[in-house]
Amino acid sequence: MSTADEGGLAGLDRLLRNTFEWYTVSKKEFKDAIRSKGLWLLGLIFTTAFIAPVALALYFDIGVGQQGQGLGMQLLLSQVYLNMVTLLLPIVAIFLGFAAISKERTSGSLKLLLSLPHSRKDVIIGKVLGRCAVLGVPLVASLAITAVFLTASRLTFKPELFGLFSFFTVVFALVFVAIVVSISGAFKKSLWSGAANFIVYFYFTFLWNAGANGVGNILSNELGVTGAIRWHVVLLLKLVNPNQAYKTLVNSMLGSGEAPALSARYGMFRQGEEASRTICADVLNGAPQAQEGVFGTIITCAPGSGSLPFYYSDPAVVVFMLAWIGIAASVSYYTFNLADL
Amino acid sequence: MTAIELDGVRKEFGDVVALNGVDLTVEEGEVFGFLGPNGAGKSTTINILLDFVRPTAGSATVLGHDVNEESKAIRERIGVLPEGYDVYERLTGREHVEFVIESKNADDDPMALLERVGVADAADRRAGGYSKGMKQRLVLAMALVDEPDLLILDEPTTGLDPNGARKMRDLVREESERGATVFFSSHILGQVESVCDTVGILQDGELVAKDSVEGLRAAAQGDMKLVVTVGDTDGLDAAVEDVRSLPEVSGVTMDTDRITVNCDGDAKMTVLNTFEESGVAVEDFETQEASLEDLFTAYTERQEVEA
Repeated sequence: MSTADEGGLAGLDRLLRNTFEWYTVSKKEFKDAIRSKGLWLLGLIFTTAFIAPVALALYFDIGVGQQGQGLGMQLLLSQVYLNMVTLLLPIVAIFLGFAAISKERTSGSLKLLLSLPHSRKDVIIGKVLGRCAVLGVPLVASLAITAVFLTASRLTFKPELFGLFSFFTVVFALVFVAIVVSISGAFKKSLWSGAANFIVYFYFTFLWNAGANGVGNILSNELGVTGAIRWHVVLLLKLVNPNQAYKTLVNSMLGSGEAPALSARYGMFRQGEEASRTICADVLNGAPQAQEGVFGTIITCAPGSGSLPFYYSDPAVVVFMLAWIGIAASVSYYTFNLADL
Repeated sequence: MTAIELDGVRKEFGDVVALNGVDLTVEEGEVFGFLGPNGAGKSTTINILLDFVRPTAGSATVLGHDVNEESKAIRERIGVLPEGYDVYERLTGREHVEFVIESKNADDDPMALLERVGVADAADRRAGGYSKGMKQRLVLAMALVDEPDLLILDEPTTGLDPNGARKMRDLVREESERGATVFFSSHILGQVESVCDTVGILQDGELVAKDSVEGLRAAAQGDMKLVVTVGDTDGLDAAVEDVRSLPEVSGVTMDTDRITVNCDGDAKMTVLNTFEESGVAVEDFETQEASLEDLFTAYTERQEVEA
């Protein structure tokens, strides 16, 4: 600490360098990548995408009815931003990171990097964190600009809600950057890394849910695992997908009921009457309630006597997401460490 | 202590044997020239020293550390100009050197190093715009950070003009005088001959020779090659026998009226006189200093004949 105080920024720089072995690599990475014109273009597109809906709402007076004014921001987040983030942000992360290691490998700059006293582990960690900063800085900036626009609009701005949304969004972005950069470390050519990344993105975004339900069906039909255990497995599988985890976190944050986390987890399922009862009562510790609707009985899930199991709570879901950074980096380190350059 | 030690190092890439049991020792303080045609396995050897590739069999140490287990400790103390590298396009020359200084926790002045290799003028330009030669100088400056105990230079003169190549040799001498060990590879003999204490020749993944530059030259062909053309071949066989028996002569080969004599550098007159005394008139003669090129060709050809 005293070093930092004495030397100001330079002292802090030295302190970080002496404390974290990956620091020098991540700093170089950030310096290098932040000068890419393509990156600034991405930042611009990003900011525009965030601001456009607000600007439109301002211009056309959309959603400024009496009720709309109050709920407008929730609607904006759940109807527009949530889908935009889950579809767009991973693509931005892929553009930013798919070549992070593979390009250095092809061009040969990795040889310069690894002829210095950096272990391959430092290189992976430094790369992941450096690129996280590269995405994080423009993302936070565009979120901040969006906040300014929101305050100026006639929608009621709810800072705590937007703050939490920003936090989840940043975590989601960092998780994807970690996955993308790690995949990059496992391939010798950027082309392969790019292809692998898009497959992973496509799988996470569009196929994972069907896969999780498919596992549930196999458990029940082929292996005779039914009831609560089946739905526990399905829910855990769903939550393991960062995409789904992010969505359910934001939904829980936006929820207005007594137990928003419970409703958000329950909302991850679209099942028939019997299964819904099981999920609500035996998996989520809730109290299923039947409502007669036009299309038959609809089961809703109210808070029960017990509380939501801690491993399905919001903090646990955040931990699931963050665990990806570690998993991705270790798998990448393992493959990268074995390889000849 | 030894700077570099390879013990039975073998490396296979799929079916291809890149190195076939290489044993090699480089002493501390030596300037070692690592020679061989392209594809002989020089870069593979260097990549093993840097832990870029792992040997299939055998082991290697650098400055007493195992190349795989203690690679980081090695890289704290060496400077490297690798083969097939590239610079970071968007970082300036100065930032490159600063990055190395920070990585090694050294306190060199980046400008002084850039000055030394002659790219100080371009210090604040992005390295992506540098010419091939400037990039080479920049990476050399990076290799010189923190006065490394060992410099590993893979084909350091590629991409340099003759002036730059000479400057490179001067730098190697300066570093050697400071006490550093220098290990550099080349397929051009002229680059190696003038600065190296010791030369090793790698051929098809095997070390075929290792000696001092003088030692190798003497061992292969003697100090001087004297080509004598005679007018009349009568009595030539007897004369050649007389020449061959001279203590200064290491070998004689005959091609009708042209006789090639390998002998000590100052034995020219003795050889010519012996021909005359044996009754053979010398019509013409020329002398050639045996270059490392001849030596290299000799080794390469010997390999081909055996194969």
